Amino acid sequence: MSKIADPPVGLLPELPVEVVNVFNRFFTAELTTLGRGNVPITWPVMPIYWAQRAAFVVLTSIGLPQKAFNIRRHPEVSLLFSYPIGSDLVNPPAVLVQGTAAAPDEVLVSVMEAEPELLEVILLQTRKMIQRQPAMALYMSSPITRYLMDWYFMRLMVTITPHTIRWWPGGDFSISPRCLELSDVG
Amino acid sequence: MWAEINRYLPRFKSAVLSGLEAEGRPFSLRCRPQPDGAGGLRLELPAYVPLEAGPASLLCHSHNENLWNLLSFVLRGQLEKEGQAWVFRPEQFIPGAGIGGLISYVRFLRDGRRTTRRYLEKRGLDRPRVPWQEMQEIFDLARREVAG
Repeated sequence: MSKIADPPVGLLPELPVEVVNVFNRFFTAELTTLGRGNVPITWPVMPIYWAQRAAFVVLTSIGLPQKAFNIRRHPEVSLLFSYPIGSDLVNPPAVLVQGTAAAPDEVLVSVMEAEPELLEVILLQTRKMIQRQPAMALYMSSPITRYLMDWYFMRLMVTITPHTIRWWPGGDFSISPRCLELSDVG
Repeated sequence: MWAEINRYLPRFKSAVLSGLEAEGRPFSLRCRPQPDGAGGLRLELPAYVPLEAGPASLLCHSHNENLWNLLSFVLRGQLEKEGQAWVFRPEQFIPGAGIGGLISYVRFLRDGRRTTRRYLEKRGLDRPRVPWQEMQEIFDLARREVAG
């Protein structure tokens, strides 16, 4: 149904195309950060696959900064893609990305502030979301919702650099995942 | 806490279990937790799972094809291994999207604004202005693409 082309595969040629499709097509993934005492805590996020850098970007509001605070203390994170609803993919794998994350202090309010190659991917995701959620127009047009929700659009850019990618064909967790160690790439 | 778990957990076919590997790195997979009637959730995990007993969390979340009708909650607790069996012992229910009704949504807006103000004040930053016109233009572009 989307008229938007998928982004290029990028720098992870060892990954099967069905895994890359998961990165490009899933709406949500489950991001785990480590809180105080190394307690893992997981929340759904909308990651952006930055293929040219073989990285993932999560834009998180400064009104919900706990993920960023956790990452600044403990950069080890994981990102599980296991909920395919809305992806239009048939029987996709589940994919676990393990890596290190960075969450700089800089606050972004305009996607146009992003680097050009990332901007393209952000716009792609934004347009896809708007196409599926026409109610988004309400947030942008009403002065009341603009006042109430402006904080939601003040974002920190979390960048996740993977070191290990595991995937379960067909999303079957009963079998051992296949694995790519990124240090092996190159 | 168990009243909320018993109310919301059956709405999900599976949950995301997150814990730590021996090296201290987070690892997640989906599983199907079942209340064991003794203060825990029984988990059937495959033998390959590299998780260690200790702090863990369970996330349940869902949305529809249009990323609408969000529902989510997180349980924080302890992952224990009893022989070959795994048990998750919840310690805290953390509501997410779609739980708590209108009051919860008002609280979400209020807390978001408050946290944002503190974040900016603590760092000596001015409150940035959201470029609504730019967002409107992206929206209009997407609408034209849908219209063909």
